[in-house]
Amino acid sequence: MTTSIYQPEMARLVNVEQMTALEKLFTVELPGGHSLGHAPGQFVMVSLLGIGEAPISITSSPSRSNGHFELCVRRVGDVTNALHKMEAGEYIGIRGPFGHGFPIEKMRGKDVLFAPGGLGLAPLRSLINQVLDERGLFGRVIILYGAKRPSELLFRDELEEWVARDDVECFITVDRGDDTWEGHVGVITTLFPQVSVNPRNTVAVTCGPPIMYRFVLMELLGKGIPETQIYLSLERRMKCGVGKCGHCQINNLYCCQDGPVFTYAQIKGVEEAL
Amino acid sequence: MKYVTLDNLKKWLDDLAQEVDLVAPRDVDGHVLYRPVASSAEILFEYQRPELSAKEFIFPDTEVLLRIEKRRNEVKQEEVLPERKQVIFGLRPCDAHGFEVIDALFLEQEPPDKYYANHRQRTTLVGMACPQMWEGCFCTSFGSGPDDPSHLDVMLREVEGGYAVEVVTEKGAALVADLPLEERPGEPPPAVADGEQYPVVSPKQWREVFNDQIWMRHGERCLSCRICTYVCPTCRCFDLTDRVVEERPGLVRIERIRVWDACTSTNYRRAAGGHNSRPTKPDRIRNRFFCKFCYYPEDFGPLGCVGCGRCVVSCPVDIDIREIMVDVAQAVSG
Repeated sequence: MTTSIYQPEMARLVNVEQMTALEKLFTVELPGGHSLGHAPGQFVMVSLLGIGEAPISITSSPSRSNGHFELCVRRVGDVTNALHKMEAGEYIGIRGPFGHGFPIEKMRGKDVLFAPGGLGLAPLRSLINQVLDERGLFGRVIILYGAKRPSELLFRDELEEWVARDDVECFITVDRGDDTWEGHVGVITTLFPQVSVNPRNTVAVTCGPPIMYRFVLMELLGKGIPETQIYLSLERRMKCGVGKCGHCQINNLYCCQDGPVFTYAQIKGVEEAL
Repeated sequence: MKYVTLDNLKKWLDDLAQEVDLVAPRDVDGHVLYRPVASSAEILFEYQRPELSAKEFIFPDTEVLLRIEKRRNEVKQEEVLPERKQVIFGLRPCDAHGFEVIDALFLEQEPPDKYYANHRQRTTLVGMACPQMWEGCFCTSFGSGPDDPSHLDVMLREVEGGYAVEVVTEKGAALVADLPLEERPGEPPPAVADGEQYPVVSPKQWREVFNDQIWMRHGERCLSCRICTYVCPTCRCFDLTDRVVEERPGLVRIERIRVWDACTSTNYRRAAGGHNSRPTKPDRIRNRFFCKFCYYPEDFGPLGCVGCGRCVVSCPVDIDIREIMVDVAQAVSG
């Protein structure tokens, strides 16, 4: 029989970096530095022996794997709180990668509009960096990123880099500013009037808290982007990752296998999806 | 018909109990339950429907999947896959039908669940036909019946002085190879399958009632106690969790366990951070029945109900799956 589908592989934490008060970035190395072999948008089950497992999206791009992959994790439950207490050199369990990621091949030749909200940047960053590493194969690259507060912005170095690049249109907003903040203030939807797009040739990719989808979708549809060209990454409680345990079921879709990435056309009429 | 006397059957079971894990209906403090037995003396030969299904012997309510030993950064993982043969004797046809429903997901969908597959493979199912239908039973609504042999390896039917033996599968034939069978004229009388038929509405039509008042009406009084899932032969949701069984300096022993879970429980759907995409009891009750009659058959083939009636008699607030079937049928035709 093959290896157990519930058996994690032990992986070493190569680096742990505090990003915000709640989020840390973990750089992970599988045994012998073998590749995780993921696609942008896929996730892994992080397994802390004796504590349990949590589904975490992969934030690094396959194009920058380098024998490592990265997880951007908010401490919010048992597993993630315990993970936050761990240091470089310690080991965690990994199962996966699971699910269907973003179909990058369908995006090549098109303009790509990214609309991550808050921690939704973590899964999208994997795709953003892949697109940037193949920059010539895409049309415009537009990034509209919203966070609650300046202190909650993730990947600040990369944000600065994206803002500075001539071939990326990157706009950042925060719901509420502070003394240090000189940028745009307002919810993510207030960024949309700043860009006009050619809807037929634009692919939109969004991920964020559940409440955000409704409003971001209105903006994207308002710009005339077809429902089949809007990609969303959904979050659900997941336990097995292989479509058995039932938790992530949305109607007859299994978020862990059919998703977590869906087109809006796929889930539009599906009850309990959004 | 092939026939075995009760005495010969008992002797055979006594020998069998020495060789395999034998599970059979027993009286446990006045409750009829499928339980491990050491000899035929413990087995009930006349019984109604055991109060719990036999699901736990193929898909245990708490199952150790992995034993993990952690010494500093050295981790050893050992899978737990019992090899000993198991025989479930006296299994009611609805319970065997239940295994086939779970098979459609755990065996036939990629990747197969090897722990479940292992239990299935090591187990032979010896059925005992119900002479009649019991309180709450409605197996005939699902194309089955009290003496339906189709999901079993061997089927027994009670006749004068013993049992008619029908060998259904090769696995069954191998098991009863040393059972002293006689050839007798005639066939066993069919069971009395006089239960009421309840309407099974197609998955497509179920979608029409997603926003119907049915769910508020039935779901409001749900206590989220999960007994319906616990007694159900087809419910298969689970949680994976770890428990530390030993901890001393330099060594931790951990078990990774799988436990039953239920979509009717409050926390089933709660994601880290607190978002719950099925926040109310009517939402969850609706999902329970949509899973059985709409999602599961659409995704995996079989309906998620076999009509055993256990949830009907177990629910403390009388949420009755048969009433829901009727209400749905009325809603789609009205």
